[in-house]
Amino acid sequence: MTAFTRKNADKPPVLVYEDVRKKYGGFTALDGVSLHVNAGEVVCLIGPSGSGKSTLLRCTNALETIDSGTVRFEGKPLPKADADIRKVRQRMGMVFQSFELFPHKTALENVAIGLTTVRKLPAQAAEERARALLAKVGLADKTANYPANLSGGQQQRVAIARALAMEPHVMLFDEPTSALDPETVGEVLNVMRDLAQEGMTMIVVTHEMSFARRVANWVVVFERGRLLEEGPPQQIFEAPTVERTRDFLSHLGWDD
Amino acid sequence: MSKRDRPRVCRLAGPSLIPTTMDFDFSPLIDSWRFLASGLGQTLLLSVAAVVCSFVLGLAVGLGRLYGPFWLRIPLVFYIDSMRAIPVFVVLVWIYFSVPILTGHSFAPFWAALVGITIHVAAYVAEVIRAGIVSIRKGQVQAGLALGMSRPQIIRDILLPQAIVRMLPAFGSIISVTIKDTAIAAVIAVPELMRQAETLAGETYRPIEIFSAVMIVYFVIIFPVTRLIDRFYSRVAHLGRS
Repeated sequence: MTAFTRKNADKPPVLVYEDVRKKYGGFTALDGVSLHVNAGEVVCLIGPSGSGKSTLLRCTNALETIDSGTVRFEGKPLPKADADIRKVRQRMGMVFQSFELFPHKTALENVAIGLTTVRKLPAQAAEERARALLAKVGLADKTANYPANLSGGQQQRVAIARALAMEPHVMLFDEPTSALDPETVGEVLNVMRDLAQEGMTMIVVTHEMSFARRVANWVVVFERGRLLEEGPPQQIFEAPTVERTRDFLSHLGWDD
Repeated sequence: MSKRDRPRVCRLAGPSLIPTTMDFDFSPLIDSWRFLASGLGQTLLLSVAAVVCSFVLGLAVGLGRLYGPFWLRIPLVFYIDSMRAIPVFVVLVWIYFSVPILTGHSFAPFWAALVGITIHVAAYVAEVIRAGIVSIRKGQVQAGLALGMSRPQIIRDILLPQAIVRMLPAFGSIISVTIKDTAIAAVIAVPELMRQAETLAGETYRPIEIFSAVMIVYFVIIFPVTRLIDRFYSRVAHLGRS
C-alpha cells in the first residue's frame, strides 16, 4: 500500500486500536481491527450495515466491552473500573443516530446537564456555557424549546452542543444524519465541518459519502468486522486498491 | 314464584326494616352531618397517608427489584407477587388481628389500616415504576453514560423523570383505588366515612339515604382527582417521550 503522510503523524495518536475483537453470541462484530487516529484528524468509518463500524465506535468509549485486543486513548488502555471509565468518557463526546436528547429537558438544560451533574459546575456557569454552545450550532433562539418542539436537524445540533459542553478531546459520531429528513442533513453536516475546521479530532460513522470525501482526512472501509482498506479520501474514492471497496462504493453510486 | 319463596319475601318486607312505601327521609343526614364529616376527615387522612407511604415504599421496592443485588430481588418479587394475589381485605384483617398475637403489641385500627393498605398498594406502585423505567429505551441510558454520568445520576436525572410522566395514567388509577380501598378499614372499626355511615344507618334505619350520600361523597372526591391527573398528563406527555 502506498504510504501517505497523515495529519499530526509526528505526534502520538489520540486513539489506537490493536487487534480488537468482539462477538455477539455467534455473530462476529469485530474480527481483529487495528487502527489509529491522530490528533485533529477526521476519520470516517464507512462500509455496509453490520460491518462493525458502529460497534468499534461504541467500544471506543466503553459503551460496549471488547472480547480481546486493546483500545488506547491518549496512550493508556481503557480502564476497567467504573469511576475511571467515567473520566475517560468525559473526554469523548458522542453523538447518536437517534439524537437521544432528554425529552424532559429544554435544549439549554440538555446541553448543561453534563456540566451540572458530572462537572458539578454552578447552574449559572453551566447555563452560560450551554447558551454559547447553542449559539455556536446556530440555535441561540431555541434555548427554551423542548426536544419535541425541534426538528430532527435542530435536535441533532443540540446533541452535538451537549457533547461539546464537556470539552471532549475527541468526538464520536454514530451515523449522525441517518435518521434525518434530507432537507436537514446539510445543517448538521455544516456544523460538523466547522468543528473539523477548528481542529477537533473526530471519528464519524457515516453513509454520507460526499461528507467523507470532502471533510475526512482518513477514510476506513469496513466489511464483516474487518478493515477492508484505509487511506486518504482521494485514494478510497478515486483509486481504491481493493476491489471490494470499489463494489461497495458503486452500490452507493460512487463509480467514477 | 314458588311456594317456598313466599314467606321469605314477606319477612324481608317487614315493617321495621324497609318502608312499605318509598318515602325518603334525609333528616339523619342533616342531624348527623358532623358525625359523617368526621368520618370523611379520617377517610381523607387515611387516603393521603396511604398514597404517600405506598409511593415511597413502592419506589424503593421497584428500584430494588430493578437494580438491587440478586439476594434482594428474590424476596421483593415474592412480596410483589403475594400482594397481588391476596385481597387487601385479608391483608388488613390479618395485620389487625394476627400481628398483636405474634408480637404482643396491639395496633390502633388507623395504623393497622394504613400499614395494610400501604403494603398492598406499594406492590402495584413498584410494578408500575419498574414497567415505566423499563419502557425507556436504552439509548437514553447510553447518552447519559457517554456524558460521563454515573448509574445513580442516570436513574435520578434521566430515567425517573421520564418514567414518572409515563406512569401518570397508571398512578391516577392507583390513587383512586387507594382512596376506595380505605373503605375496607370499616371492618376493623376505623371511624372513617364508611364506618360512620354504617353506624348511622344502623341507628336510624335509613340505609338508602345514608349510603347514597356516601356514594356521592366518594364520587365527588375521586372523580376530580382522576380527571385532573388525566388532564395534567395530556399536557406533559411529551416530556416522557424519548
